[in-house]
Amino acid sequence: MKVLVTGSNGFLGATLVRRLCERGETYVRCLHRPGSNLRRLAAVQADHPGAELDHCVGNLTSPEDCARAIDGVDLVYHGAAALTGAAADMFLNTVVASKNLLEAVRRSPRPARIVQVSSFGVYGMAGVEEGSVVTEDTPLEPHPELRDLYSQAKLRQEQLFWEYRERHQLPIAVVRPGVVYGPSGPAMSNRVGLRLFGLFLHLGRRNLLPLTYVDNCADALVDVARSPESTGQVYNVVDDDLPTARAYLDAYRREVERLRVVSLPLFATLLLSRLVAWYHAHSRGQLPAIFTPYKTNSMWRSFRYDNSRLKSLGWRPRVSTAEGMRRTFEALRAAAAAR
Amino acid sequence: MPFRVAIVGCGQIADGHVEQLQKLDAVEVVAVCDRESLMAEQLARRYRVPAFYDDFEAMLAKERLDAVHITTPPQSHRALASLAMERGCHVYVEKPFAPTGAETRAIVEQAERLGRKLTIGYTYALDPPALDLLAAVERGLIGDPLHVESHYGYDLSGSYGTAIFGNARHWVHDLPGGLIQNNVDHLLNKLLPFIADERPAIHAMGWVARPQRFGDRRDRAHDELRVMMRGEKVSAYATFSAHLRPAHHSVRVFGSQGTIHADFVSRLVTLQRPGSLPSAIGRLALGVSQTLEVMRATGRNALRFARAEFQFFAGMERLMALFYESIARDTPPPIPHRDILRLAAWIDEIVAQLDAARDNP
Repeated sequence: MKVLVTGSNGFLGATLVRRLCERGETYVRCLHRPGSNLRRLAAVQADHPGAELDHCVGNLTSPEDCARAIDGVDLVYHGAAALTGAAADMFLNTVVASKNLLEAVRRSPRPARIVQVSSFGVYGMAGVEEGSVVTEDTPLEPHPELRDLYSQAKLRQEQLFWEYRERHQLPIAVVRPGVVYGPSGPAMSNRVGLRLFGLFLHLGRRNLLPLTYVDNCADALVDVARSPESTGQVYNVVDDDLPTARAYLDAYRREVERLRVVSLPLFATLLLSRLVAWYHAHSRGQLPAIFTPYKTNSMWRSFRYDNSRLKSLGWRPRVSTAEGMRRTFEALRAAAAAR
Repeated sequence: MPFRVAIVGCGQIADGHVEQLQKLDAVEVVAVCDRESLMAEQLARRYRVPAFYDDFEAMLAKERLDAVHITTPPQSHRALASLAMERGCHVYVEKPFAPTGAETRAIVEQAERLGRKLTIGYTYALDPPALDLLAAVERGLIGDPLHVESHYGYDLSGSYGTAIFGNARHWVHDLPGGLIQNNVDHLLNKLLPFIADERPAIHAMGWVARPQRFGDRRDRAHDELRVMMRGEKVSAYATFSAHLRPAHHSVRVFGSQGTIHADFVSRLVTLQRPGSLPSAIGRLALGVSQTLEVMRATGRNALRFARAEFQFFAGMERLMALFYESIARDTPPPIPHRDILRLAAWIDEIVAQLDAARDNP
């Protein structure tokens, strides 16, 4: 089988390529942009000399590059998305890029199966009762314009996939990971808190962190892709034994770096959010509305998370949360020492 | 009735246009347009604009617009401006106004022929530091201006730099002057009030200082530029740099009686006058007077912050307010057409010199 991975040089993408090689794929087309640092993919190739990693240099914002990338492939793992940047670039590189890919697949003589990497950010958590269990049936965000740009772009991206599935009957499955972590990934999720003016504002406190170790998440993508009944379905990806935000932060401070932490309970974060939102409006946008009550209710309330649908496909987290955090913090500590 | 206004081109800078227009009572943003419908949709949804289009002609036909803001790549400005003006709209054109001086002249001449108001997005020319500096010069605080230095720093890893260098097909690489041409308006338009000449003497040097990493045309884009100019009464140096840190954005005007410096990053505007005391005491006194000058400027900025007048896009908001005032009162637009044309000619000359030097290093 010929497999394409978009975003193949990213944190999750490169791990996925490695897991695909470890799980028996012999041909993986790796789409990445020109000029990318290919250190991660080079390491995978060195460890798996028998696998053919076909480097496809291109940009999903180009319909021609998309057509070239999907030519002859049977399965597409679509992980490419913008993580940061200005709004227009986030939408261009996440949503328009996805449209180009979907159009290329739709026009191909034998449309490939697609596994789309979505996000927990698509859920409308502000309207969900605190303490609820987040499942695949939790409502999607009804007010994306009130959320952060990443969530807005990821929601529109996923909606686009469902539109194409409905209109063109494309064989699509959607995977929604929680917080993907691991060595060479981001150190700290915003769900734990934010660095601000030399302090760490700890906002997550006793909330469970919906972590998924990067290898476990990559396994989930492969399991979904290889399961015939996953077409048209959504799968949440979170590991077992989830820590609280506080437990994660405590371990991080112990293992990686000292932080000056100010811990805010939810009522104080909501008060601060109202103040920030009021000043933003009053000053006609002189300071950005980084906190609003809506964002706070979406990000820093307590929920539980269900992974039973994914487990019904046979998926199990190969790496425990304790081991995943140990590996992550060890890598972060080594990176800090190297600096 | 507020003016019915639309944006065409829903890239990064379009956010700034919608945000500033929505602050003006005289204007209502009624539609946005981009040939990629998803881009038009995202802008409309985020700012609650009632309509979005992927067809410019359809938008013009349906929305009964008074004005259009053109924030597309500059290669499309002439065609879009022409169509909008023919349909009765006034136009605000983002910089770079057009790829060449010839296209710039064509747009300006059409606006004059049809009697439409036209402006270019010289927003920094109306930022508070620029206005404070001009007011001080007009009050005679530095005597006669004799020389100007303009600096414009650029961050290749910023949101614009990342977008431009992340894509070999980005329209910036299609401009005759590439990255330089996309930024040189900000560098040079602050010289316009001081260099009155149509064609000052210009000597330009450009080079690539960053490592080559793409193996395509992106590697050719100049990221350093030095320009020396000499007009009849005033000379100038202009520096564009993607590598000097911190990234400077400033203008310094040297006059016969003093020097004034406007820093667009901190927004401090400070005046330096010749000392009047002798020897070591004089040198010490100069330091004290410069410190006091910085404190006074900081105090003015603190007051502006308290009055919520310390906005990122203050110059754009002012430019738009003046533009719509010129439409309402049928007075001349805020940026004189002559300045748009002069600067386009200067840019043509700079790009030609950079090309010639590249061909004959």
